[in-house]
Amino acid sequence: MPTDSRRITGPETSQSPHIYQKTNGTEIVLIDENKKRQDGRGLGDIRPMFLRAGIVSQARGSAYMEQNQTKVICAVYGPREIARREEFSWKGQITCEFKFATFSCLHRRQPQQDGEEKDFSVQLLEALEPAVCLHKFPKSQVNVYVTVLQDDGSALAAAITCASVALADAAIEMYDLVTGCSARISGGHILLDPCHTEEYRSEKDNTVNNGSVTLGLMPSLRQVSAVTSKGELEFEHVKKAMDQCLEVCQKLYPVLQQSLIKSVKEKLEMDKLSDCHTT
Amino acid sequence: MVDVQLSDAEKIYILHGIQDNCREDGRSCEDYRHLEIESNVVSNTTGSARVRLANTEILVGVKAEMGNPAPEKPDKGRLEFFVDCSANATPQFEGRGGEELATEISNLLSRSYDCPSCFDLSSLCVLPGQQCWILYIDVLLLECGGNLFDASSIAVKAALFNTRIPKVTVREDEGHTELEISDDPYDVQRLNVQSVPCIVTLSKIGHSHVVDASQREEACCLARLMIGVTEKGTITAMKKEGSGSLDPASVEDMMETGKKVGQDINISLTCVLKMEERQGVKRQTIGFLR
Repeated sequence: MPTDSRRITGPETSQSPHIYQKTNGTEIVLIDENKKRQDGRGLGDIRPMFLRAGIVSQARGSAYMEQNQTKVICAVYGPREIARREEFSWKGQITCEFKFATFSCLHRRQPQQDGEEKDFSVQLLEALEPAVCLHKFPKSQVNVYVTVLQDDGSALAAAITCASVALADAAIEMYDLVTGCSARISGGHILLDPCHTEEYRSEKDNTVNNGSVTLGLMPSLRQVSAVTSKGELEFEHVKKAMDQCLEVCQKLYPVLQQSLIKSVKEKLEMDKLSDCHTT
Repeated sequence: MVDVQLSDAEKIYILHGIQDNCREDGRSCEDYRHLEIESNVVSNTTGSARVRLANTEILVGVKAEMGNPAPEKPDKGRLEFFVDCSANATPQFEGRGGEELATEISNLLSRSYDCPSCFDLSSLCVLPGQQCWILYIDVLLLECGGNLFDASSIAVKAALFNTRIPKVTVREDEGHTELEISDDPYDVQRLNVQSVPCIVTLSKIGHSHVVDASQREEACCLARLMIGVTEKGTITAMKKEGSGSLDPASVEDMMETGKKVGQDINISLTCVLKMEERQGVKRQTIGFLR
């Protein structure tokens, strides 16, 4: 990874103490005998969700989302003129920047975007692009910035949901919102909305049929705008996981709408107040 | 992706052809173009391969170097993917122009190799916690003729099949360990690439989908699904690419096709690689490299 020479980096070879932690030799049990997960959820249950639009006052649009300990904030700026003017284009551009805050994960993240974050940025962009009416703002661009404040699993799915609400909050014309959902596949079981301990990691899950699927859906059009998977999986399991994610995405839709309605109402209220002051 | 300019009429021509399962070069929707594979083409590497898929030309070199294993995986080696989009292929890649595409390819490659059941990284370990082999897999793009992801993954698999890492013996000597690398060219360690995946790209054009899209077909396509498929027919990585969206039912259809085509590719690739190896030095050179 290229490093920024102007930034003073810490000692190069420091490690998070978590990797030296004793695991007591026992594997983490994802599902107990009552088909409950560690945090008491059933296999198909998702975590409670908090979503609010209009958090960053100076951004054109913004949203904040929580799923227990996963916390994501997103701000949208634009449409504005493309900084480095290239050729003329009838279509607008979206740029996405996905960043884990340096303190958001168990190990410390570098201030610069690493490979995983770049990968997530591209996936986020591809999830949002189909939903935005790009032809409505020719030769200009919209910037979407997503920062994960705390990562407790399913960060990409949360980022997709949060960013689409922020785009709508910025009054960017869209065909539909996009909702995201992740699933962890472990053996024959599908765990929806995995938290950090449940997420797939290639170093500890050695057997076939261990992995994860993330899906982005435009609910009212019922179109898949993003789908990714990790780990070696059989086709049948991927399909099953996708179907379950699809249902969850569909169910989340009203939550997104509610948060937008609330934000619009608040904005109208503000406008009314400022009108009173001027007259 | 690399742009080609197509008029609307040309796009409709391609689209209608695909609807009738007959593409502009006469292939059906599930056919690949002619593929050339040659391995052991660069002498300074631990393993190398050249793949030519119609107009797409890719050269892969694998270099094995010794290094420290990652602290969270002390008993495993590492694969480092790097893709170089050379400006030889198209002037658009000049400077940092090809970087975006390059990281996309290398990210998908490393994701599809990142599962212990498909590639055994512990065979690259020399001394747990201290020394391991790091394989630098460098993909060089020499010509772009569409379907770069599939071609690179095939080339990477071929190069890994060709890789021969020198044997290392560890000797305990009065408290400190000594590593000795064998200089016998036949005393080597080979990699098991049996269950290594190949990437299959399915491009949605109109209401159908095609495999191995040419550059002109890529220009008509809004959404692609890329799947890493192993010989057993399992998925190791999946990704949707492009600015379009897909119907859930068509995602399933595309996965079905991807599985079938991917298994076929893996099987015939293994067969071809073994055949080439049997020929040994008597093998004819087909490419420009000799």
